[in-house]
Order: sequence, then C-alpha cells, then structure tokens
Amino acid sequence: MIGDGPFATSAGPILPGIVFPMLEVGDISKSFPAVKALDGVSLRVEAGEVHGVIGENGAGKSTLMKILAGIQPPDEGSLSLEGVPYRPRHVNDASEAGVVMIHQELNLVDDLSVAENIMLGREPRRFGVLDFGTMRKESARILGEIGATIDPRTRVGDLPVAQQQLVEIAKALSQETRVLILDEPTAVLSERETTLLFRLIRRLREQGVAIVYISHLLPEILELCDRITVLRDGRVVVETTPADSDADHLASLMVGRDLVDVYPPRMPIESDTRRLTVSGLTVPGHAVDVDFDIAPGEIVGLAGLVGSGRTEVAEAIVGLRPISAGEVRLDDEPVRFRSTRDALHRGVAYVSEDRKGRGILVDLSCIRNTTLPNLEAYGRLVPHRRRERAATEGWIERLDIRCPDARSPIRTLSGGNQQKFAVASRLDSEPSVILLDEPTRGVDVGAKRELYHLIAGLAEKGLACLMISSELPELIGLCHRIVVMRQGRTAGVVDGPTATEESIMRLAAGVEDHAA
Amino acid sequence: MSAGTNTQVGAARGWRLALSALERFGVVIAFVALFAYNAITQPDTFLKPENLRNLLNQNADIGVIAVGMTLVIIAGGIDLSVGAVMAFAAAVGMLTMNALFEGGGNETFSVVVGLATGIGLGAACGLLNGLLVTMGRIPAFIVTLAGLIGFRSVTLAIAEGGEIRAADGLTALQSFGRGGIDIPGVVDFYNQPVVFYWNILIFFAVVITGQLLLSRTRMGRHFIAVGSNEVAARYSGIPVNRVRTWSYVIVGACAGIAALMSMTRMNSVSSSGVGHLAELDAIAAVVIGGTAMTGGRGRVWGTMLGVLILIMISNMLTLADVEVYWQGFVKGVIIILAVLIQRGRAN
Repeated sequence: MIGDGPFATSAGPILPGIVFPMLEVGDISKSFPAVKALDGVSLRVEAGEVHGVIGENGAGKSTLMKILAGIQPPDEGSLSLEGVPYRPRHVNDASEAGVVMIHQELNLVDDLSVAENIMLGREPRRFGVLDFGTMRKESARILGEIGATIDPRTRVGDLPVAQQQLVEIAKALSQETRVLILDEPTAVLSERETTLLFRLIRRLREQGVAIVYISHLLPEILELCDRITVLRDGRVVVETTPADSDADHLASLMVGRDLVDVYPPRMPIESDTRRLTVSGLTVPGHAVDVDFDIAPGEIVGLAGLVGSGRTEVAEAIVGLRPISAGEVRLDDEPVRFRSTRDALHRGVAYVSEDRKGRGILVDLSCIRNTTLPNLEAYGRLVPHRRRERAATEGWIERLDIRCPDARSPIRTLSGGNQQKFAVASRLDSEPSVILLDEPTRGVDVGAKRELYHLIAGLAEKGLACLMISSELPELIGLCHRIVVMRQGRTAGVVDGPTATEESIMRLAAGVEDHAA
Repeated sequence: MSAGTNTQVGAARGWRLALSALERFGVVIAFVALFAYNAITQPDTFLKPENLRNLLNQNADIGVIAVGMTLVIIAGGIDLSVGAVMAFAAAVGMLTMNALFEGGGNETFSVVVGLATGIGLGAACGLLNGLLVTMGRIPAFIVTLAGLIGFRSVTLAIAEGGEIRAADGLTALQSFGRGGIDIPGVVDFYNQPVVFYWNILIFFAVVITGQLLLSRTRMGRHFIAVGSNEVAARYSGIPVNRVRTWSYVIVGACAGIAALMSMTRMNSVSSSGVGHLAELDAIAAVVIGGTAMTGGRGRVWGTMLGVLILIMISNMLTLADVEVYWQGFVKGVIIILAVLIQRGRAN
C-alpha cells in the first residue's frame, strides 16, 4: 500500500534531497492537572496519505488534534511540516500553515449564510465592501466540487447537521490545505453522504493532501486509511496498515484486551401485553402515520437514514413536539404528554441524541446531573444532599461509570461516561419506558459494549426500550425487532435475530418499493 | 536536573492554585483589603460603629435588590425594572398607608398593610415581567427595560413628580425605621448604645435566605439548571417557564422589600429619587460578586460582598474628598477589574 504513490517516501538515512513527510509529530507530551493526556506520541503523515487515528475516548486523540490545530501547545516534543518546524500558537497560525481541522462539534456561525461561512475571515471585497457576488460564485464552485447541492445563500442554522458538515469541509477546502484533520466526520452523515465524503477524501489524497482521519467506526477506517495509528492511554500502541489488520484486532488493541460478547444475549419476551403503542402518529413536517409498539422487556430498534424522522417521533412521544394525528397508548391507555416533565411523571423517559446540548448540563456536577430530572424524590422543597450523593454513587457502581469524584463537573468525564450519566439521570425516576436516541454516538468500543449490556439488563427487568441508532450492527445485535423509517413513514419491521444490514437498508432506502 | 523540574512544576502548580483561588475568592480578598485600607487610613471615622451602621443602613435596600438580581441572573434572565418597581411599590404602599390611617384606621394596622402592599405589588410587577418573558416570549432585557420606563412614569404620575410624605401623626413608620436591636457592648462616642436598624437585619436575613434558596432548595437547583442550559433543562423535565417566572417574582418581591426599607428610613417617597439607578448598582454588585452574566453560575454571598465593596468605595472616596463626579468612574473600573479577574473560571 505505502510506497506506490508519487509522494510516498521512506524515512531513510539523512541524505541530500531527502523528502520530508508532510507532517511529523515527534515525541509529543501533554499533561493536564489530573492526567497525562499524551506521553511521547510520534506520528508521520506523508503527503497523499490518509492516516487513521483511533483509540478509546480519553486515549488522547482529541488532545493530539488540538495540538496540531494550534488550539493547545504541547508540553514537550516537536512538530514539523515538510521538515520545517511548526509551532502554532493559535488556530490562525495553523490555517496559515495549511493545517485545517474539521471538528466534531461544528464551528459555523448559524446566522450567516453558507457563502459567508465558507469565506469567513477571507471575504472578497470590492471597493471596500463585501463582494457578495464573488462570494456566492466561489462558494457554489467549491460546493459543486464536493458534490453538495446546497444554495450558498441559505442560512447555515437552517441546514440539517449533515449539510452543515459539508459546509465545514467546503470551508476547509477553500483554503490552501496541506494537512486536513477530520474528527469523526461521518457521525452525522447518512450512508449516501458518507460515500460522497469518502470520494472527496480520496480525491484530496490524490492531490497530495495529508489527511488525518479520526473515527470510532473501524470498518470505515479500514476502508479509507493507508495507515492506522492506535492510541491508548496517551501512547501509541501500534502503527499498522489495513492489510495487516482487521476490525476485531484493532478493537482489542484500542481496549487493551480482547472484546468478547459485545452484544448480550437476547432475552425472550414472555408477556404479550404492550407497554407502549404508537399508532398513526403524525408529527407535522417530520413523520406521517408511524406505527410501532414495545412490549415490557423488549428492545425495539428504530432505524432509518438521518432525516427520516426518527428523533422527531421520539420527541413527539414525550411531548417535545406537537402531534397532529394518531395516538400513543401507555399500558393500553391513551396518553398525550404536554412536556418531558409530564412524560417522566408517567414513566416515559427520553435520552436525547444531542448529549452536550440536551442530554446533560455540562457545567454541573455529576450528582446534580443525575438527580435533576427526579429532584422531587429527594425532598419536596429542599433536596436531601446526602441521599442525592448516595443515589449518584449507586449509579456509578451499577453502571460502572469511571468518575473519580461525583462532585466534579460532568464535562471532565469522557463521552461514554457522560452518556452513562445521561441514561442514569433518566433512570433515576424508575421509568417503565425509555427512548434512547443514538445512545452510543461518540462513545468508544469498550463503553459501547457496556452500554449494550446496560440496556439489555434494563430490558430484562421489564423496561420497554426504544433504541434509535444509525449503526445497524448494534441494532441487529441488540434488538428484538427493528422498525425501519423512510422519509417520515414506517417502511417496515424486521426481526432482530434474522435481520441483516442489507434487509434494513433496503427498507430504509426504499429499494423494496421498486421491486414490488 | 529532575529536582529542578520538580520545583518548577511545583511552582507552576502553586501559581495555578493561587490564580484559581484569586478567581474564586478574589471578592473576599478585595473586601478584606478595602476594609483594612479604610480602617487603617480612617481609623477615627470609618471604624466607628455608627459610621458602619449608617453606611449599611443607607444601602441595605440596594443590597436586597442585588440579592434578587443575583437569582434572576443565575436563572438566565435580567431585570432592569427593579428601581422603578421599587419606587412604584413605595408610592402605592405609602398612599395605602395614609389612606387607611386618615380613614381612621389603627396606626400599626395601617403601616403593616401599607408595607405589605408594597411587597405584594413588587411581586406582582415581577410576575408581570416573568409572564411577558415566558408566555409573551419577549427578551427579558426588553420587557424589563419597558418596565423601567413604564413603572417610573406611573410613579411620577401618581406623585405628580414630587414626594409622598407619611400622613401627619403616623409615627409608627418612622419608629420602625429607627428601631432595631442594640448589640451589647457597641456604644457610640457618648456611650450610648448603637442601634442596628431593622433594615440592616432584613438585608442580612435576605442574603441568608437567598443563599440557602440557591444552594439548598429545589427551586435554586432549577434556577441554576435553566440558566446553565435551558434546552437541556427542558429535556430533563424541568418546568422551564414556571422556573423563570418565579425568578422574576422573587426579584420583584425583593424590590418590594427595598421599597419598605426606603419608606421606613425616609418617612416619605420621592417619586423620582427612590430606586434611581438601583438596577445598575445591583447588577454591578452581582458582577463584582462573581456571578456569571450568562447564567447558571453564581453566589448570593458574593453579591453581598459586592454590595459592601461598592459601599466602601463610595465611603472611601467621599472621606478622601474625591469629587462625587469621579466616583462613578472608579466604580466602573472596579467592575471591569472584577470581571477580568474572575473570567478564568469560565474557561
């Protein structure tokens, strides 16, 4: 694989005429008050190479990327670009040097148009005022290049997240880019958009851009990358190539032990009663005539492409969106919740896909987060603080949350542990139905496995679970049945144990319709 | 070599700790430093019990408003109407009191009803603000700016731009203003006991209540959650609108209590003077005290120190014969400094 591109080089002895790697990271270390985030990490990325960086949450990937992008300086070690020392002190230094990072959390100005965002900071001017015509034309050209059909005049805040990501990529490409860092770029993309993105990345590789690609999704890492560096606990465990490795091997390298029983065994459903029944549910603008039901102890998956209305259905059930038609029945009794509060009181809990924006309160402590939705239970007016703490510590133990101090702000924890607290806070009021929206998004392999076992354990105790996910393997591995949505409608239901990714995708993409 | 690095790391950690302490407790340090400075430079005037008592008494009303302001800001709002509401509540309270007394009512009864009317009216104005913000979906800044202009105007109209005095013979009001408790052993120059007026005690009581409300009650927890991230709070099942409305009711009630304090202290209500610029002094105290203007993070005890710091600065400048025109400039500088020092905590 390596060595057949025009830019491929070998380190070789120091000779005149040697070609330096595009990006070289030498022995970088970085400590924070509590942890050593990076401990002597080295990395070489050649021009025209896609270099995958993988590791569990907390392995040091984000810190490494922040150092590359000039957001944080390293404590020790060196960086160089084509043999020239590179010491960014600021994000602007990095982008001037041609190092551009596309964040997991998008960095766009919602209130500006797509064109204004792409050109932000480098706006073309005519006679001292903004030249909107050129801005629009230039943006349209770049968007066209990456195959995005977005009107440059659209306000960014009005675009779905997937398209916002494309705008972010277009913004990066509109500059002279030598090193492109992509942090979990496909987390918010649909299958089709992912394919487009990969095509784009491959084209950039051909143009000689060095690409650092971070992802939790091992199949895509194997598909896309030329070389793969595995980080664990702030150190490089191994550098390998897709040819020398497979997903299981990478996963065990990341975790540092073999991963067995990723999915817990499915427990049989004994009762034929229905805990939650949704029939003919219509959410204006998002979903039409949606039907499904969940039995006590059952895990029902809700699959569908991004934008198929999955989240909106869940939000409508718990009263966050208006319902224009249809019915929700809880234990055979029609219900129409006015708010999440109302739903929680009746035992229906919802864990949002947007963890940091809606799931948890990042600045509050773990204890405060855990007890917030159920604070009445700790005292009508004055919450009993010792009981709150005891309850939180109970959850830490039950869900095996790694949290050194329950009183510390929740933002100091890794994504997987934050997610466990988000789930714990909804479980604290002992609901009978839980709607989990992308519960494993941005969570590493080890924590994913723990979440699966947690969900299965809840179902075993009689909880009715709805699991919304874009990751088909986890739906297939975990769910009793999988409801597939397409463009706001239920396209079909498949049986969990016999489902295949293909059978789900056919429903989600509407292939069956043409066959019929 | 390694010892050297360790010392360096140790020193760096020391600096970090010192910095974070400064960020967290800067307001305490500033308070102690100002107090010490005043005490040393003006030992004969500043430290006199009656001076301290008078300083507190004159500013207790602003202090009470600042406590309410702290809560509303922590809950993610702002209330610019507090000064005007205070004047409105004081004017109506005084008129009620006079009408009852002149109509032949019992003196104590008239005073109690008049004062209670003021507090109730303040809370009612707060409720109106809160409903306009939550149900009417108008930004708090706009709603309460309108309140600032509107309530002041109504007050001026009621009093025809002048003053409303307590009815002749209504002495109970003034005696409440002069009443209080003697702290044993605290005597003035003539060996007479120094009375700590009720207003001062009310101020400290409101501070304690406010801090307990914030840190110990469910409502306080909800204020913090809503101010920290309103959407996440709603997803957590918190009745966001109700919580926000309550924060305005509380700050309104605080303005009503401040009205009571100014009535008993002055024995009259000046329709233009009462609560004039109170909103700005209160916000200044909140900011100096270390509460984030963006909501979700703050402390009532900090605001109390902020109030005391502002008092001491005025007193210091007055005693140092600095022209009154310059005092605002110094306050402005102090506010900026307070924010600069405390900013690190957010990052």
